[in-house]
Amino acid sequence: MAELSTSKDKKKYFFNRELSWIEFNRRVLAEAQDQEKPLLERLKFIAIVSSNFDEFFAIRVASIRRQYRNGNYIVCPTGLSPEKQLLEISKRINSIISEQYDCLLNEIMPGLNSHGLVFHTQGSFNEEQKEYLRIKFKADVFPVLTPVRFHAKNPAGIFGNLRLHIAFLLEKKTEEKTSASAADADNETTQIAIVQIPSSLKRIIFLPEQGEKLGYTFLETLICDHADDLFPGYLIKEHLIFRTTRDADVGVDESRDEDFVEALEKILCHRDLGNVVRLNVSKTSELLKSMIADSLGLEHYEIFEVEQPLDPSIFMEIASIKGYDHLKAESWRPVESIDFSEDVSIFDSIKEKDILLMQPYESFKPVVRLIEEAADDPEVLAIKMTLYRTSGDSPIVKALERAAQNGKHVTVLVELKARFDEARNISWAERLNAVGVVVIYGVVGLKVHAKALLIIRKENEGIRRYLHLSTGNYNDKTAKLYSDLSLFTSKEDFCYEAGQFFNAITGYSVIPVLGKLSMAPTVLKARLLQLIDREIQKSSVESPGLIIAKMNAVVDVDLINSLYIANQVNVQVILIIRGICLLVPGLAGKSENIRVFSILDRVLEHTRACYFKNGGLEEVYASSADWMPRNLDGRIELMFSIDDKDLKTRVKDMLFLQMADNAQSWELKSNGSYLRRTIEDSDEQIRSQEQLYHEAVNRNHRSGKSDRREFRVRRTSSD
Amino acid sequence: MTNEQKPRLAGVIDIGSSAIRMVVMQIEKNGEFRKVDRASKPIQFGRDVFIKKVIGRESINQAIRILNGFSELFAAWGIARDDVFVIATSAIREARNRDTFIDRVFIRTGFNVKIADGVEENHLTYLAVLHAIEGLRATFARSSNIIIEVGGGSTELMIMDKGKMVSAHLFRLGTLRLEHNWGGFEAGDALNKVPIVQSLMEQFRGTIAGVNAEYNLAKIKYFVMVGGDARTAALHCGQKKSEHYSIIKRQDFFDYLEKLASFTVEDCVRLLNVSYYEAESLLPALTIFGLFFRETAAEELVVPDVSIREGVLLRFALGSDSKQERQFHGQIFASALSLGRKYHFDEAHGLHVSTLSMVFFDSFSDQHGLGEKAQVLLQVAALLHDIGYFVRATGHHKHGQYLIQNSELFGLSIDELNLVGQIVRYHRSTRPLRDHAEFNALTQEQRVMVLKLTALLRVCDSLDRSHCQRIKDFSLAIKDDDILELTADFQGDISLERQALVAKSELFEDVFGYRIAFAGKN
Repeated sequence: MAELSTSKDKKKYFFNRELSWIEFNRRVLAEAQDQEKPLLERLKFIAIVSSNFDEFFAIRVASIRRQYRNGNYIVCPTGLSPEKQLLEISKRINSIISEQYDCLLNEIMPGLNSHGLVFHTQGSFNEEQKEYLRIKFKADVFPVLTPVRFHAKNPAGIFGNLRLHIAFLLEKKTEEKTSASAADADNETTQIAIVQIPSSLKRIIFLPEQGEKLGYTFLETLICDHADDLFPGYLIKEHLIFRTTRDADVGVDESRDEDFVEALEKILCHRDLGNVVRLNVSKTSELLKSMIADSLGLEHYEIFEVEQPLDPSIFMEIASIKGYDHLKAESWRPVESIDFSEDVSIFDSIKEKDILLMQPYESFKPVVRLIEEAADDPEVLAIKMTLYRTSGDSPIVKALERAAQNGKHVTVLVELKARFDEARNISWAERLNAVGVVVIYGVVGLKVHAKALLIIRKENEGIRRYLHLSTGNYNDKTAKLYSDLSLFTSKEDFCYEAGQFFNAITGYSVIPVLGKLSMAPTVLKARLLQLIDREIQKSSVESPGLIIAKMNAVVDVDLINSLYIANQVNVQVILIIRGICLLVPGLAGKSENIRVFSILDRVLEHTRACYFKNGGLEEVYASSADWMPRNLDGRIELMFSIDDKDLKTRVKDMLFLQMADNAQSWELKSNGSYLRRTIEDSDEQIRSQEQLYHEAVNRNHRSGKSDRREFRVRRTSSD
Repeated sequence: MTNEQKPRLAGVIDIGSSAIRMVVMQIEKNGEFRKVDRASKPIQFGRDVFIKKVIGRESINQAIRILNGFSELFAAWGIARDDVFVIATSAIREARNRDTFIDRVFIRTGFNVKIADGVEENHLTYLAVLHAIEGLRATFARSSNIIIEVGGGSTELMIMDKGKMVSAHLFRLGTLRLEHNWGGFEAGDALNKVPIVQSLMEQFRGTIAGVNAEYNLAKIKYFVMVGGDARTAALHCGQKKSEHYSIIKRQDFFDYLEKLASFTVEDCVRLLNVSYYEAESLLPALTIFGLFFRETAAEELVVPDVSIREGVLLRFALGSDSKQERQFHGQIFASALSLGRKYHFDEAHGLHVSTLSMVFFDSFSDQHGLGEKAQVLLQVAALLHDIGYFVRATGHHKHGQYLIQNSELFGLSIDELNLVGQIVRYHRSTRPLRDHAEFNALTQEQRVMVLKLTALLRVCDSLDRSHCQRIKDFSLAIKDDDILELTADFQGDISLERQALVAKSELFEDVFGYRIAFAGKN
């Protein structure tokens, strides 16, 4: 698969990963800018743009920055040096942020204002509100504020990661200045104090408002307005609201398996001590900005100056505020799948046939129900599952606890290293351990990202296993927001292999040879290369091959090169990639048969699925893995084939539908930009997510089912 | 009763020289079984034992960890300790500290490890293979075939001629011993492998010549290849013929072997989708298979999807049914016959005494109270009692004992061969005595059995004193409480036999309390 082109050529054949990601966030912003969309929906996307950037800096930028500091070595296939990447990242992000604030402050806020949702900044309060805020500050805020004197030499320790701070430049009032001058050196007349905005207080403060209106402001505004109370005897000369982002890389020592949990806990405490990689500041004080930036050793391109409010990710709370339905998108309530009947045991439903759920259009409840029924079913011997990210009060964790208490053998493979969820994961993992669940804390050196649930049941006819495989996490919260495929099966070959998979990842056995399932990091990538290669072998001018692959990111250079080769023999390649894509489509003689689309809509696209024409013997796979080295080489993942004819058709139809989306879809051009796809004259509008939801509703409509039930009337017998 | 009807689960653990493996089997109502789970973990037993003669402390602890893991798996399946069968093969068998090992394992894991001695391993493999190739059984009964398993520490071989076991061996040669001998198949060095294949051939030349002397390998039509390496090969270059076995075409096998020889261990792991420890043994094992395969006329290899673990299950968990048992006894006898021929024994006499002893054993069963196993021992001892003539007539009973105790007989354990040897040892005039160390080393039960069987053999041997098979058949009847009347159906002069009977029934009288009265019936 070696590429024969020179390194100079090679550069043209890949996009830079970070810049590709930034383009993704630009598409997220475009949702906020779409004037057709309801205002609160737009506001939600404003918030997402910011929280996306937070994670991007903490992980990706931090990593590039380390590369730069460690010798500026080049690993990017485009040949772009870390330094150049950092500059370009900063430039592009600045332009996105300024568009974001423009949209927020000049379009969305005035719009919401006119609908009675009023955001107040300094100076826009009426008397009643001022009084309310004054009392609130005295009673609730002032007691918990702790101003700290700023030392330029060792500042890092006082800035909490991703927390808002306010810096105040103070000057002693004249009368006191004279009396103290004997003791103080003259440069001590001004000093800097830092106030960290306490996380114990809500950042959003709702205000008394006239009529139907709802007004709110932010905590930092309130603190700035009343800061004089904090520093008696001083004049506040200038102030600066700022927020630092730290390197979140968890360098836990993998060799510590005895006390791995402790080691990880320790690191979590220290996450606040990672290097600062970004500084967001308000445009209020040049002096304070440069002092803080200098003290942190930050370059100019690592400082982002914005209008207030800082950190718009808080607007997520406003976007999901109760009421205001006319400002929100129509709700797509997940539909209960007709394949699971309430009156039939879930095991019988699965035994009857393989069942597929398309989340979030179809409800995630059957997954929870499967575990809950298993917990109480007398025939169930054992439950084995992987848990990567799950919600804290998860019904799944509760059901597993109950299962263990009921004497089931429960094995849970917990991935503690799920980024930013580590602390949460440790707490419920320990809870499970306490009730006798065999909790396995991951696999040394690899994150367990595969999503699998296996239930072993001893029925009258013998052992029967029930398997659930998914592209998404066992998390009832995200299952309402992310698109994912869930497969339920009791087919013996799948279940046997899943058993083998669990034996391997739980340390009981070596890695097995599997057929229906492909496991990373052992064979998944080789299998994908093989599938692409088979498409190449079977493609001809008369009957060109076809690959449709949908996932979150395409980064793996070997797989991309393999697709370029497929291009040469006329294989048509359609990639539906939500985020990063390093492949350059549309290059003559290289990738003219490859098209890359990206769908961005209300549901976060999360499904990983692919379709291979295979000379007419079509095959469809779903997977937990993106085509990224991190997934294929550094994680335990599972890809599974969808064999059932009907289910295969459903997934295939979904892929073809998304391919045709012309409402919420973008196409990647060979220059790296994305163009929104538009409805051509003859076409009708296709919005794939909306259509998938309506299909789910139609498919699962239980015609007249409730009508068939007769009323049972209680009557006295004497009547 | 209803409980009996429900499919049940059983577990088998096999402690080999390079891995500890487990399976969970579901045993169906009809006695068929189905694998529902398996696991395996590599271990360095072979390296320890074949080099240092003992299992290292590190390996013991590792084994305990692995077994405790398996224990959790069995618990998840709800399988009780009594339904888990643990067997250990060559590495543990040869380890000087095997008793310590077994004790440590028992104390730390609760598993009771049973060590399979060499021939027993053959037996288990045989059971498993036969079960897997059920569909081929008729074909097998018409032709000659060979069953080979190459393991880490040993190579098993069984040859069957028209369904009869003619040769069974367990050589102390295996993939791990080879590594030990030649410094290993080093990773990353494909070129080095050519001389290793050559030295393998030299090493096996003598072995193959020996096997060929017993049975002409060129007559072999079916070649059955057993073991993990064989299954890996079948996966890569064979075709699945049924749920239980695959076929590899002769040419495909050698092409595959050639391709493999050019791979490094890393290539194997990457390209063939096998684990590292599997990759290490793949080439040496297949090379050994190839050496034997080349000698035969077989067009294809039969690779059953079984291992010793299924054999253990068939033997211990299922309990063999009587049809299987009889068939198995037939194979033991066939194997004994083949041994007799090797030493040019008087086949007609041996067979005849054996037949007469079976008649006696059956008609006298309510008096001797011995079971089926004793019957087989008598049958084999009777067949081979004069085998020592090959060495020298004088002391042939002692030579016979030596030959038997140092041969491999399919289906008989070392203990059982020892008993057969002792019966042969005492078939002439010397009686077993308490000051005979070997006899004294037996358990009381075994001593009684040897005495009884020796007494029977002596009587039956005397009934063919002339080696002319003149007494065709006989019947027994008890008269006057202490006389056993033997009514013989004979042809020709049997004065020699009558005389011999008087001389050789003394032990019988002492053991059973009956005097034998001869009643001819011409």
